[in-house]
Amino acid sequence: MKRVVESDVCIIGAGITAAMVAERLAERTSASITVIEAGGRTASLAERTRTRARMLAYGENPYPNDHIRDQTGTGAMYRQMVVGGSAMHWGGAIPRYSPEDFRIRSLYGVGFDWPISWDDIEPYYQEAEERIGAAGEQGPPDCDPRSRPYPMPPLPLSYNLARMREWTDEAGIPFWTQPWARNTEPYRGRNVCQRCDTCAVCPTGAKYTPDFAFDQLLAAGRIDLFDRTLVRRLTLDPGSDRIALAEAADRDSPDDPVEFRAGTFVIAAGHAWSSHLLLLSANSRFPDGLANRTGNVGRYMTGHWYMSGYIDLPMRLYPGVFANNSLLSHRFASPGPLDRYLRHDLRLWESNVGRAPRLTNDDGRLLWGDEIMADWRARTASGATARIRAYYDVIPDRESRLTLDRANTNALGDPMPRIDYRAADATIDLEPHTLGTIRGRFEELARAGGGAVRSTRTSRLFEHPGGGCRMGDDPVTSVVDRRGRTHDHENLFVVGAPTIVSSGCANGTLTFCALSLMAAEEIGKEGLR
Amino acid sequence: MPVPLPGGTLRAVAEAVLPGELAAEGRERAVAAFERWSEGLEPVAELSHPYLVPEVRYSGPDPRPGWVAQLEGLEKECESRYGKGFGDLDVPARRGMLARPLGQAGPGLGSPASAAHVALALMAHFYTSPVATDLCYGRVIAKQQCRGLEGALGEPAALAGGGGP
Repeated sequence: MKRVVESDVCIIGAGITAAMVAERLAERTSASITVIEAGGRTASLAERTRTRARMLAYGENPYPNDHIRDQTGTGAMYRQMVVGGSAMHWGGAIPRYSPEDFRIRSLYGVGFDWPISWDDIEPYYQEAEERIGAAGEQGPPDCDPRSRPYPMPPLPLSYNLARMREWTDEAGIPFWTQPWARNTEPYRGRNVCQRCDTCAVCPTGAKYTPDFAFDQLLAAGRIDLFDRTLVRRLTLDPGSDRIALAEAADRDSPDDPVEFRAGTFVIAAGHAWSSHLLLLSANSRFPDGLANRTGNVGRYMTGHWYMSGYIDLPMRLYPGVFANNSLLSHRFASPGPLDRYLRHDLRLWESNVGRAPRLTNDDGRLLWGDEIMADWRARTASGATARIRAYYDVIPDRESRLTLDRANTNALGDPMPRIDYRAADATIDLEPHTLGTIRGRFEELARAGGGAVRSTRTSRLFEHPGGGCRMGDDPVTSVVDRRGRTHDHENLFVVGAPTIVSSGCANGTLTFCALSLMAAEEIGKEGLR
Repeated sequence: MPVPLPGGTLRAVAEAVLPGELAAEGRERAVAAFERWSEGLEPVAELSHPYLVPEVRYSGPDPRPGWVAQLEGLEKECESRYGKGFGDLDVPARRGMLARPLGQAGPGLGSPASAAHVALALMAHFYTSPVATDLCYGRVIAKQQCRGLEGALGEPAALAGGGGP
């Protein structure tokens, strides 16, 4: 039997961007809000002490039932599909993008300008930081601008990071503490960080995860949450381009379809599943998918690449004290005028690479008992290893695409997404310069500390991915406007990662949240109660 | 319930592969911790998702029957070769018998659950433990232990009883 659920706003997805939209609308309007999530609930806070222990001991997934077996695609994408989304597992790094990210075409003649500026998004960065609970240190204002202080003081440096910061100061490159979604003070009913060093699963609740927000909204009676409910397609109003309903399958009762009717629909399903839903929703008037009149849905999939390395340093550190804190520099994300385009961040962590206990020595001889300990001590007594990584900006290409994979369907017969990422020629052409310059900076840093680069590697995984529904003022080249409203459907919004124009050179979550709040403000003007 | 590892032989292995500075008491704690860990091991368990990898990964099949067989095999081989139990051999002789299976491994210790030999599993379990790290550095690093934010800047305290370089 078909069920019909009606609300003012229907949010599809229950990850961090959905939490932002739901929370803001719940606070500032009296609209009825429905949130739909394909996945179920995973380990509650009370269960995370146990699942953490098993993760440490056995490497087990600390979030049981966090995915749907037949709901998965091909290409780099998150596996999680659960209330809270991929931000259940995140480490909680929440840097902002740099002002330059929003106008690299104007400044450097490459890539694309966003339709919004830094000044447009800055208040929403602050709001997102306050909703999440950001603990951060103000970096040099010229490469870490902000209008107001962080809501909480930064995580304290560990002994190891303090020694490493002395080294980076010596090198003349400013580093400061990574901003984190981890409490350094009691915040919104959640605990203070206990430095458990397993931030993927925080047993104290000090790390923000979206389930906290949903639980509070549910307790206040401000949302209805339908989990284990898979939205399969959006359907238009007869005779108009407005969205009338979302057709869904209750995973516990798949023969009984659910119809969600609402005045406004918000797709908050992340970088892969947002475009996927629009493509799945093709109909006779939009044969290539909803919001896809100009063929841009699923295009300009983006993310950043990186070079990482290990640096040997002549100092004694104690790896294991707090490996989940790190130092950050945005000096080279805000580089000023450039002859050739290159923008990147720098991150530094403690590491035990090259200094872990081992079974055989450099000659391949088997070590026993005290020999293992003596060998280990000899490699840690006066030397330490730092891990370094530079995310660099990758220019997205129009042919970097998410498509429907007809050869891979779920149990309902719906094709799953396939992502074939591609960087623009400009990024490929610049790559030798990019990697050579970054390697040189690693070496310069190492020399300043009397050390040496032990090894480097490069990655073309499109990290912190986004795109597929990019924003723009011109419908010919974009899917949504600057507030996330689709050009083709006045009551359909896409929020967060899919709407980004480029992914800069910093973790993207805070930007996805800020964009979602900008959209939520617009949605709130829709004549909602 | 998994078949328990033969405790006597396991302890004789421990004496050959763990550091002597642990002494009998520390060694017994390390073996007991390994036994508890082994009892709690769940074969083919879902592992943490790697970043941006859509495939789900699982741990391997149960290694414990193989480990039991290896420990029983050590006793049987010892009886055949020397007419006595593995624990009755001196430590160099025990290492001689363990060198062949351990010689296939290295240079790293790997993870205990994927160790091909029980001696390597025991070593990997101990040397990757917070106890071993503290002993190596001679400091109370106490990795993976939850603690407050206060005192973060301080150098880890010296380990009571020594250790370190």
